[in-house]
Amino acid sequence: MTGRNVASTALKAREFPILVALAAVVVTTGLVNPTFASSEGISAILIESSVIGLLAASQSMLIIMRQIDLSVGSTTGLVAFLVGQNAAANIGVPFTISVVVGMAVGFAVGIVNGFFIAYLGLPSLVVTIAMLYVVRGVFSQLAGGETITADQVPAPLVELGSGSIFGVPYLFVCALIGAISVTLLLRYSRWGRDLYAIGSNPEAALRVGIPVARRTFVAFALSGIFTGVAGLLLLGRFSFADATSGLGIELYVIAACVIGGVAIAGGVGTAMGALIGAVLLQTITFALGALGVSQFWQQAVAGALLVLAITFDRVVAVRSARRVVRQVEVLA
Amino acid sequence: MMALQRLRLTAWDRGIVLLLILTLLFGGMFSELFMAGDNLNFVISDVSEVLLIAFPMALLIIVRDIDLSVASSLTLASAVIGITYEATLSMPIAVVAGLATGSLCGLVNGLLVTKLGLSSLAVTIGTLALYRGLCFVLLGDMPISSFPMEWTDLAFYPIGSTFLPWSVVLLALFGALFWYLLHGTRFGRWCYAIGQGEEAAAYSGIPVDRVRLLLFVMTGFMAGLAGLVYTLRFASASPDGAMGYELIVIAAVLFGGVAIAGGIGTMWGVIAAVLVWGASRSLLQLAGFDANALVIVSGLLLLVSVAIPQLISRLREQLGHRSPRGGNPTRGEASLPSGNEVVHPSPAGAGHDQGSN
Repeated sequence: MTGRNVASTALKAREFPILVALAAVVVTTGLVNPTFASSEGISAILIESSVIGLLAASQSMLIIMRQIDLSVGSTTGLVAFLVGQNAAANIGVPFTISVVVGMAVGFAVGIVNGFFIAYLGLPSLVVTIAMLYVVRGVFSQLAGGETITADQVPAPLVELGSGSIFGVPYLFVCALIGAISVTLLLRYSRWGRDLYAIGSNPEAALRVGIPVARRTFVAFALSGIFTGVAGLLLLGRFSFADATSGLGIELYVIAACVIGGVAIAGGVGTAMGALIGAVLLQTITFALGALGVSQFWQQAVAGALLVLAITFDRVVAVRSARRVVRQVEVLA
Repeated sequence: MMALQRLRLTAWDRGIVLLLILTLLFGGMFSELFMAGDNLNFVISDVSEVLLIAFPMALLIIVRDIDLSVASSLTLASAVIGITYEATLSMPIAVVAGLATGSLCGLVNGLLVTKLGLSSLAVTIGTLALYRGLCFVLLGDMPISSFPMEWTDLAFYPIGSTFLPWSVVLLALFGALFWYLLHGTRFGRWCYAIGQGEEAAAYSGIPVDRVRLLLFVMTGFMAGLAGLVYTLRFASASPDGAMGYELIVIAAVLFGGVAIAGGIGTMWGVIAAVLVWGASRSLLQLAGFDANALVIVSGLLLLVSVAIPQLISRLREQLGHRSPRGGNPTRGEASLPSGNEVVHPSPAGAGHDQGSN
């Protein structure tokens, strides 16, 4: 077996259990409560997991290279608000301007994060907690008590938030496109392979000549643009934004990545896995409701499952690591 | 090398203490209200929960672990205190139950991290959701707000004729305890050793996992204690209390000079950092700024606190003064997740190769 084969088998193995878990949850819940597995039920889950899913897909890029971005919740909310405000202040502004505004705001936060982390060498956890506060504070200052309501949201975003194609909500299509492009980028481009190398061993990556700082900076900038798009989706989803939009979602984003097999220690995982993780997280929440579990129990059960998923992932990782070691021994 | 390191590191802590003194002086000059007993009472009460949890969190981050579930543990302890008091009408029993709950939360985190070898960041994001969920299970959406007056008065009135709130007793007691633990005992030196290099620490006979487990339990216990203070201060146990405190605590600890990469930090830096945070919050309020300004200032302080030491060390390097690598609080393993890599080198390291080949 070549190294590439080993890698791809392991990658498949990492996502396989999540898909099985997802299918198991959908089927069992669907048997008990048929409306859950109906097309409306499934499309509700997909709509609800789109924003977190897209954010998780872009976050996976960072976690793979051993970085983290906790500022995404604040940035997503800020983008949703600013796009709404911009569209309301300039009636008839082309939709492309809204999209550009959203991406530009996300990009701006991304390059600030990237600058501090890549070029000053500061720990990403600290920088992005700081940016979480700074962005949220600026956002609250700008928003005050103002709210963005449905009539201020650009019409294409309202359409994006409510429409669907072949039964798949547009919102989820966006998240899916994001996750697929990140997955392909990371898997087949040299740039993307470098991110895995950096996450596996930053020191070694540096020594083989990978421009670690530049890769880190670009990854944060790119992730910022994705966060901007997530902000647009958030605005489309709720047709509403205020100073609390996106509050606290960063932890759900990290949770989706971890459930989706993106190891927090870096070097492993895919953006598709992270998206599936977000869908699974949402599916479980919905399933508990459909099974008649009291809403008060739902968060507790979701938390317990998250801990279980992390544990399970660790067991699988240790096992497949042993397998790789054995194969290497056989080859040697 | 150790001496050099210590010199450079205490410099940052001294800076924070100096900043605290300057903040207080400036506050006193800026407004008579700032130094008034009532306001100081408010400032101290306001930071008490954060400070109580910051004590053990400093040790936890020094050994390269982290606990994001502290705010949820605090709220769960508060919920248990409420429920137990309702059932038994005895506050002492309720307090013991609350502290036990906090410690149990910490024990679960610690066991998952040390026995299963999971990353503490991932585990405590999970238990953050779990413990918060249990609060909703216990309380539903009905906060409990019937607590005996003689207990809530402790949180409402100062000690005798002074301006000091009663929580000062807890802050002084546990501040001194954790200070001694970190700076005066073998256990404290073990913490630094583990943070500087876990493998080396283990080979030199330090019971690494026992130390880490104990630190998680301590953190849980202190979160429980903070839960008691929180419950009495607001005379209420509600499932959505103390939201987001975990990041405030961590921000304050890092601002106080504890390196996220582990091995570095002092207790007085952390205490001064929490007090600077509380004092500047009060100053901004007195100056007529709203809560948003404080949020922005908190973030900027945190950013500056990691950026300045880094810039200084870069500058020194460029000037030709080669400084010891370990002496740089933010260098080395650049982010927290990387810390976990060092914690479990063999299986996780092998696991990574799958992705990169």
